[in-house]
Amino acid sequence: MSTRKVKSFAATRAFAVKLVIPLLVLLVVGLPAPACAVQVHGAPEGLYVHMLAHVFFASALIFLLHILRRRPMGSGSAWRYFKLSLIFFLIWNVDTFLVHWLSLRLDENAIIGGSRLWHHRLAPPLDWERWLFYLGRFDHIFCVPAMYFLVRSLRDFCAGAEQRLGRTGEQS
Amino acid sequence: MSPGLPFLPVYTGDFVGATLMIILSLQAMRYARRLTRLERQNVLWTYLFWLCAALVALAVSRSIGHILRFVMELAGCPIGWQVLAPYSGGLNSLAFMAVAVLTFYFYNVYLVNERVRQHARALAEAHESLQCLNLTLEEQVEERTLELSRSEQKFRRLYEGSKDMIFFCDVNGRITDINDSGVELLGYDRSQDIVGHHLSSFFSDEAKWARYFCSLNANGHIKDFEAEFECRDGSHRYLLITASAVRGEDTTRQGCEAIAKDLTHFKQVTDQLIQSENMASVGQLAAGVAHEINTPLGIILGYTQLLEEDFEGNNEVLEPLRIVEKQTKVCKRIVADLLRFSRHTTEGELCRISINHCLEEVLSVVEHSLNMDHIYVQRVFGEDVPEVVVDRERLRQVLVNMITNAHHAIGKEGIIGVWTRFHSHCRELEIIIGDTGCGIAPEVIGRIFDPFFTTKGVGKGTGLGLSVSFGIIQDFGGRIDVFSPPREAMLVSAGMRTVFCIFLPVEAAGALVSEEKGRG
Repeated sequence: MSTRKVKSFAATRAFAVKLVIPLLVLLVVGLPAPACAVQVHGAPEGLYVHMLAHVFFASALIFLLHILRRRPMGSGSAWRYFKLSLIFFLIWNVDTFLVHWLSLRLDENAIIGGSRLWHHRLAPPLDWERWLFYLGRFDHIFCVPAMYFLVRSLRDFCAGAEQRLGRTGEQS
Repeated sequence: MSPGLPFLPVYTGDFVGATLMIILSLQAMRYARRLTRLERQNVLWTYLFWLCAALVALAVSRSIGHILRFVMELAGCPIGWQVLAPYSGGLNSLAFMAVAVLTFYFYNVYLVNERVRQHARALAEAHESLQCLNLTLEEQVEERTLELSRSEQKFRRLYEGSKDMIFFCDVNGRITDINDSGVELLGYDRSQDIVGHHLSSFFSDEAKWARYFCSLNANGHIKDFEAEFECRDGSHRYLLITASAVRGEDTTRQGCEAIAKDLTHFKQVTDQLIQSENMASVGQLAAGVAHEINTPLGIILGYTQLLEEDFEGNNEVLEPLRIVEKQTKVCKRIVADLLRFSRHTTEGELCRISINHCLEEVLSVVEHSLNMDHIYVQRVFGEDVPEVVVDRERLRQVLVNMITNAHHAIGKEGIIGVWTRFHSHCRELEIIIGDTGCGIAPEVIGRIFDPFFTTKGVGKGTGLGLSVSFGIIQDFGGRIDVFSPPREAMLVSAGMRTVFCIFLPVEAAGALVSEEKGRG
C-alpha cells in the first residue's frame, strides 16, 4: 500500500471516530421512537421450521449417499453399515415428515381420551389418512436400526484404525 | 371397548425406542471419540464425531418428548411437559440442522483435505528425493566429472592420434582448430600457422570449394568429397573429406567439423595401374601385329638383298633397291621395338656395372653426332656412386633413347647435361639427363610415356622410345621422373629446360650376390 493511500485511510478513520460515531450515538439515545423491527412469530411457525429442518436433514442424507455412490471414500463392512444407517435415517425422516404433515390435517378431536396418556385413542372414522398417521407414529422401527447400523459402522471403523496403527507400530 | 385405535402401543414404542436411541447414540459417540483419538488428522473421524454429537442431542431432545412426558404424567405433573415440549421440538430442529450443515460442509472439507494430503505426499516425496540427492550429490558430481574426463581423454586421443586430418571451421569457413596430422599434411610446423586461414585457400580448384561449401550448407553434411589441396610448399594432395555442420541449441549453424583422408599415394598408384593396364593392352596388340609383320618383312628384306646381288653394278636399279632395303630395316627395327616393349623381356644377363662407365661408353658413341649439331655434353659424375646390377645392353638402350630425345629436343646448338649421384638415405642411384631444348608442354607431360605418343614429325619417331625405356627401368626396380622445367635450382642454373631423372635401386646388387651364391 502506498504512503498516500495510508494517509487517506487514517484521515477517514479519524473523521468517523470524531464526528459520525458521536452523531449516531446522539440519534439513537437522544431521539428514541418505535422501530417496528421485531417480527412476531405465530405458533405454527415452529412446526414449519421443524418440518423444514427435516427436509434439510433429508437433503443432506441424499447428498451424502450420492457422494458415496459417485466417489466412494472406502469399502468394507464399515462403509456398508454406514450407508445402511444413512438409508434408514432417510426413511425415518420421510416417515416423520409425513406424520407431521398428517397431524396438521387431523381434526382437533381426532385424538380422544382426555388428559391421561394411556387413555389416548385415535377416534374413528379410521380412513387411510388416520391409519397412515397411526402406523407412521411407530417411527422408532426406522431410527433405532439407523442408529444401530451407525454404531456397527463406527465399531468397524475403530477396528480398522486400530489394525492400521498396530501395523504401523509393528513396522516402526 | 372404546372405538378407535389405542395410542398406548405407540407411546410404549416411543418410550422403548427413545431409550434405545439414547443408549445407541452414546455408544456411537464413544466410538467416534475413540476414532478421533486414534487418528487425529482424519477429517472423516472428525465429521463422524460431530455427527454423533448432533445425534446424541437429537436422541436426548426426543427423550424429553417420549420419556419425560410419561414420567411427568406418572408424577402427576402433566403441565411440566407442556413447558418442555417447545424446547424438545426446538432442540430436534437444531439437531437436524446441525447434522445437515455438518454433512454439506464435510464434503468440501474432505475434498480440501484430500488435496492437502496429496500435496503433502508430493512434498514428502520431493523432500525425500532431495535428501537423497543431498547425501549423494558429491559422489554423483565426482562420478560425472570422472566420466566426463574419461570421455574427454578418449576423444582427445582420437583427435591427436589420428593419422587422418581432423579440422574444425567456424561459420565463415575459417579453420579454428586442426590436429597434428593435418598440420603435417599441409606442410606446416604448428597448428597456429593454419588456424585463421580460410579453408578455401587450400582448395586448388575454386569451383570445388564452392561445391563443397554449398553442399555442406544445404545438407548439413558431406560424405567422401574428393578435393585437391595445395600444401604450403606448392605440392598437391588429394583428400577425401567427410564433414558435418555443427549446430547450436537454437539450430543455427556454428561451423563444421571434418575428417580428411590423404589419397595422394592411392591416386598415384591408381594412375600407374591404369597406365600399366593401357601399356599391357597396347603391348598385346603390338605383339600380335609385330608377329604377323615380322615374317613378310624378313622375306622382303631377303629378296631385296638377293636382287641387290643380282644387279651389282647397275646403279639405276641398285639405288631404289637400297632405299627399299633401308626402309625395310627401319620397319624391322620398329617391329623389334614393339616386340621388346610387349614382351618386357628380361632375357638379358644381369651384371654389376658402373653407371659412370656405362654413360661414358654411350656418350662416346653418340657424342660425335651431337657435336655435328653443335651440341655439347656436360658431365657431372658423382665419385661415390656405387655399382648397380642391371642388364647392360638394355640400360644402354635406355640411355641412348634419352640422349637421342634430348638431341631432338635441342635440334641444333645446345647443351646436354648428364649427372649421376647416390642417395644414401634411400639407397638409390640417380641419373639425370637434361637438355636446353624447347621443353615439354604441361598438357602433354603426363602422356610422354604412353606408347605411340610422340611430338616429333611423321617418320622421325615411333613414340615407343620412352615407353620402352620406362618399361626397362621398371624391370630394374627403378623409376623415371620428368620435370619441365626442373625444380632443382642447380639444374635451372645449368640452363636445363627438361630433365629426366632415372632412379635405380642399389639393393639389387645384394640380391644378385645371394642369387649367385644359391646357384653356386
